Amino acid sequence: MSERELGRKLDRCLADGVIKLGTGLGLGIVFSVLFFKRHTWPISLGSGAGLGMAYSNCQNDLRSHYLLHRNQKVER
Amino acid sequence: MAAKLLPVVKLATKVGIAGGAVYVAYDSGLLGGSEQGSEALQKARAAVPPAIEEWMKYFGLQTQLPTIPNIEFSPVQAWNSGVRWSISRLSEAPTKAGEMTTQGVQYVRELLK
Repeated sequence: MSERELGRKLDRCLADGVIKLGTGLGLGIVFSVLFFKRHTWPISLGSGAGLGMAYSNCQNDLRSHYLLHRNQKVER
Repeated sequence: MAAKLLPVVKLATKVGIAGGAVYVAYDSGLLGGSEQGSEALQKARAAVPPAIEEWMKYFGLQTQLPTIPNIEFSPVQAWNSGVRWSISRLSEAPTKAGEMTTQGVQYVRELLK
């Protein structure tokens, strides 16, 4: 993987992390207010789940360079 | 009859709001892959200044907000330049230490004269 490609992937990872953390936080707040009497744990759960999703996406993105994809022809 | 229906209606409203929030998040690509996430962040950053302007007009505050400078910060560039700086300082450290020791010894000698 070239350094430029790695840099782009890491930038994407960071942006995705911010988005997923914010989304998890927001959904956690919504669920906390509506169903769980404003407890903190749904907010923590949502934020943690968002961060975990971002981590998983980043991991797949960085690994995809070394995997053979279905749309690539296998040369004999 | 109405008293029995009210909790059901309340629950249905809450489920509707929560479900709607989850659907909006899913539909706008916030819960998808990393490319969709970074695209969503770019769209949000582009949409913030016009939204702020509209809200200011709505509330009657016509003050001119200072334009937010376009900060181009790349974590990779910052990290790489930090590594280069640290290594160059480490490589210069023995020379610098020698020079500072010489200067210190000279200073002490002059004091003792």
